[in-house]
Amino acid sequence: MESILLLAHTEADGSLAKPALEALAAAKSLGGELHIGLVGAAIQRGADQVANAGAARILAVSGEAFTQPRYATDAAAAEALCRASGAALVMAPATSRWSRALPGVAFRLGGRVDSHATAIAVENSVPVLTRWFYRQRMEARMTRSQRPWMILLDAGCVAPWSGPAGAAAVESIALPAPETRTSVVGTRAPETGEQTIRPDAKLLFVAGAGWTKKQADGAVHAADAEKLILDFLRASKASLGGSKSLVDLSGEGEAVLRFMTHLNQIGQTGATPRHPKGLSTCCHGEEPHAVGWRFIGQRRAINLDPNCGWARGKADVLYVADAFEVMRHINALLV
Amino acid sequence: MSDSIGAGFERQAMDVDIACVGFGPATAGFLATLSRNLLNADGTPAIESRVMPGMPLQVVCYERADDVGFGVSGIVTRGRGIRAALPDLDLAAIPMAAPVASEKVVYLLDPVGASRRSFALRLADRAFRAFRLHRHFGVELPYVPPFLRKHGGVVLSMGQLMQHLAAEISSSGVVQIWPGMPVAEPLTGESDRVIGIRLADQGVERDGAHQVGFVPGMDIHADLTVVGDGPAGAIGRRLNEQLGLPEGHHQREWALGMKMVVDLPEGSPLQPGTVFHTFGYPEPEIFGFLYVHPGGVATVGIFVPSWFRSPMRTTYRYLQHYVMHPYLWRYLAGGKLRSWGAKSLQESGRRGEPFLAGDGYARIGEGSGSTNVLTGSGVDEAFATGAQLAQAVLELARESRPYTRENLERTYTGRRRASWIEQEARVAEKARDGFHRGVVSGLAGMALAGLTGGKLSLGGSPKPMPSPEQFYSRKVPAAEFHAIVDECRAKALPSHDALMDACGWPAIPFDGQLLVTHQDALLMGGKVQAPAGYADHVRFLNPEFCQACASKLCIEMCSGQAITPGPNGVPQFDREKCVFCGACIWNCPAPMDGDSARTNIAFHAGAGGLHSTEN
Amino acid sequence: MTKPFQIVVCGSIVPDPLQTLEPVTAAGGPALKNEMMLPAVLDPWAGHALFEAAHLAQKVAASKVWLVSLAPKAKLQQVMMMVAQKAPFELVALDGSASGFSDSFETAAALAGAVEAIAGLDRSRLLLFGGWESASRGAGSTLQMIGERLGINEQFQGVDRLTILEDGSLEVLERVEGGKHQVSVCAAPPAVLGWATGNLPEPRNNPQIGMANMRGVMPALQKAKPAPVSNAGLCFQSVSLPKQMRGTRVVKNMPAEEIAREIVAWIGEE
Repeated sequence: MESILLLAHTEADGSLAKPALEALAAAKSLGGELHIGLVGAAIQRGADQVANAGAARILAVSGEAFTQPRYATDAAAAEALCRASGAALVMAPATSRWSRALPGVAFRLGGRVDSHATAIAVENSVPVLTRWFYRQRMEARMTRSQRPWMILLDAGCVAPWSGPAGAAAVESIALPAPETRTSVVGTRAPETGEQTIRPDAKLLFVAGAGWTKKQADGAVHAADAEKLILDFLRASKASLGGSKSLVDLSGEGEAVLRFMTHLNQIGQTGATPRHPKGLSTCCHGEEPHAVGWRFIGQRRAINLDPNCGWARGKADVLYVADAFEVMRHINALLV
Repeated sequence: MSDSIGAGFERQAMDVDIACVGFGPATAGFLATLSRNLLNADGTPAIESRVMPGMPLQVVCYERADDVGFGVSGIVTRGRGIRAALPDLDLAAIPMAAPVASEKVVYLLDPVGASRRSFALRLADRAFRAFRLHRHFGVELPYVPPFLRKHGGVVLSMGQLMQHLAAEISSSGVVQIWPGMPVAEPLTGESDRVIGIRLADQGVERDGAHQVGFVPGMDIHADLTVVGDGPAGAIGRRLNEQLGLPEGHHQREWALGMKMVVDLPEGSPLQPGTVFHTFGYPEPEIFGFLYVHPGGVATVGIFVPSWFRSPMRTTYRYLQHYVMHPYLWRYLAGGKLRSWGAKSLQESGRRGEPFLAGDGYARIGEGSGSTNVLTGSGVDEAFATGAQLAQAVLELARESRPYTRENLERTYTGRRRASWIEQEARVAEKARDGFHRGVVSGLAGMALAGLTGGKLSLGGSPKPMPSPEQFYSRKVPAAEFHAIVDECRAKALPSHDALMDACGWPAIPFDGQLLVTHQDALLMGGKVQAPAGYADHVRFLNPEFCQACASKLCIEMCSGQAITPGPNGVPQFDREKCVFCGACIWNCPAPMDGDSARTNIAFHAGAGGLHSTEN
Repeated sequence: MTKPFQIVVCGSIVPDPLQTLEPVTAAGGPALKNEMMLPAVLDPWAGHALFEAAHLAQKVAASKVWLVSLAPKAKLQQVMMMVAQKAPFELVALDGSASGFSDSFETAAALAGAVEAIAGLDRSRLLLFGGWESASRGAGSTLQMIGERLGINEQFQGVDRLTILEDGSLEVLERVEGGKHQVSVCAAPPAVLGWATGNLPEPRNNPQIGMANMRGVMPALQKAKPAPVSNAGLCFQSVSLPKQMRGTRVVKNMPAEEIAREIVAWIGEE
């Protein structure tokens, strides 16, 4: 089996977060000689975390210049690590930081890159990757002959490696600070003031366009809808998703849920998050939206239409009921 | 014309030579013929633009649907007009096309026992069954009447045909086709001269109020406006309203055609090019068809005509019963729905012709009465009228003559009158009148007209619709009838399903594959959707009419269930479900201002609708 | 006054998301069933990039927008009927496959070549835009490789906003984990921006823009050079549609209170 380099960037305190440990587990599962490459301002804590992971070498590029997620510096660091390692396969977590930079590195090395991998396995000594195409509508298994082959693994697909920490011997790769015109200024939380996206939540709560449509009394109840949804999110710590039609309405200035932005969109042009459970409300469940539910484990829906898309195989349970009423009762129980 | 867009907004205008409304087979015929003649071999303009000197003729077509390939029709056609205009086009090479291999006319008996059949028909049915003259409840006619025959023809998908033609036309570079651009109204100058068109406003709420990003529809000024927007097209109908129809002409006869495209089950024995024409089931008035495409795909559909005098007639449910008729179900069972669509057909034929041309405008296609109801064909006829107009335009443009009524009548109408379109339209003119007396008279009348070249026909004129209570009285007592309707209206549902159930029609056994709910057909089959930012294009003008209307036929006939019972007896409209079939226009029983051609429903052009290229 | 930008948007076409998509095995590998029959649209995130480009070009005088697209010519022409009404741009067309199963490395090579061939391109004012991923391949790697080929080291992905600051530098907001944005400042072009959705609504259809665009679009399509994309070294072992049918339990006529109890219990379960 070919050699593998696990590439990981460290957090502010020098440690490795869960996605890195997931990628490590995937890398180990391939069985070849393992190298670990770390990038960050500080790396020793992260190195110690994986000291007993069975890596033949632990390499690092560290320093002030490599603190911030930034293409020029991250690409240079990753490139240096890849060259120092010489591994045929490179595994990395598909964090936003690596997703930005690593494809460029694959090009520099004359190799190839595949992202959004959901699984990696070995068959007849050949690594086989699984990933989705056409917005999670088709699943493919593929291999490549070019090397190095860089694989970016989506978070939440593989159980993270865990093992006792140790004292790691790290080979430091000296790299002068790369020239760049970019500096990272900070992060910004959503302007709506409400943190509604929680990637680690156990439950995804999807609000569909039905929340802002006329109800049985002929009136729109946007304010009620907002309160019910926000109260539920706060009480349940669920993550909020929306259908494209609802998000588009927000953009058109219609009666809206003010905290709903494009970032919440699930489906065709939105996200495909991973959560063990999902609850859909006031949403028809048509295909372009439902593709976003690919990685949601258990699914339930509340909709007044017994013939909506959820009824026919897309959900485990469909409650034919008024979501306003049901959510009111749920919120009362969660208090 | 009024211009009430409000303060602070300026309506833009643009000048072109020729503006076309609607991209269907007629406009395709017009543009295909025209575009082949606008440039010389060396690329210089063969006909110079008046609005952009030095450039070739500036020709633009505006289509309301979101893509040129989203149209609906059968189709089985002999393609004479298309082949004459485009001799190098191999129709059979278009995806989903198949040369006609076999053709049958089948009279379908009623295996369920719920259809409304006259005494004569019931007797005939009993005889057929007694003497076992049927196979799978279908009586195959020993021959196909010559007027129906499509021998040498092709089975086609409208969507694929239009996609193919649009690609060819656009690649010429001399003509532009713009989908997603509904036209709001014609622009008229002095003495009813048409000077162009006004496009629909964008960035409005459903009720027309301005949103952020409001853009008033642009005015397109053109020397010639070509109106090919179909029988339900807003511009054609607006011109009919403004200018009236020629003396003695009417457009009272319609039909709603609805179809499914089906993936046949594995190992189907049906060969590509197989054609069935049927009548008799699910109601005697309902004609149906099955055409087989290559690759194990079939198109199956029905027509619900205006002379089917049920005050709560509907189409989708009937289509499902049609598909389940044993004669067809033996082929379709186990199949999967891949596309669905519906459209209105203008069945008044020659007598439905509007003024074909006037100062600054010409009418082509089905909206100009070109559909032949005897042969059951419209696509080729529409194309031919477009090609004829193009020849006329080329003649006038080359001689630098203006597009006046006289000139257009001489060159376009003259060509049309001298062609097979006219000859065959005359034969068909009275062919269907017998149906007003009954189905048997109707069929006899068709045969008579067809076989005598139109010299003989069975007359008949439309009778008034019975009241809903009356119509159902034989099978559903009045109290039960009202209870059913009241319950459905309270739940904002159409009444036809519950009423058909009460009349003995069996419930549809949904399988999620081919037999699906109406809404699923819209989503799975039609992929129906509408972009935001446009006003509701169907409006109920006078609420009192609606409140007083007992049948609310618009709700029952709406192909997309976009029109549903609303508060205070006035229907409500969901533009995201509308497929622009136009059924609402001709099913409203309330005449406006004593003019039987206008009803209580205003139907404008809008964006959105079907998103399938397979119909 | 900011100097004009040259914004090159790379983006292809994808099947209209409402359609039913199925894989088939073709000679060169997997393909989409009936791909040429399906209605196509401009790749959604690339579309957002194009609208952002047009918006920026409008604000900064004398800026220009190109759309570089690798797709089958006939399908690209159809998509242009809708896109060309939305924003002014010059089309550079390459006639080749828009399949999601084609290799991003080779696609990037073809696109980079076309960008380099643009006459009068000023690298010091170049902004290379595109969608951060396509709705077909969904790799999120093509733009980076185009950037590398063009020697551009300042790259951003998942962009939702670009603001030109007073001194002409670029402030970029990129999506990061947890529903937040990272704010970076890039002193000057050239830069690569892979857009997410941004914040602009889809522009209205404008016949004047359409007419003006079409004069360039048709010749560009006619001149489109063939750009074959071989998938050398890439091997698909299988492509399948997931089996997504669950046995849905449809609950009718249950009082809302009871439904609420059932759902709360379900949420609380491990």
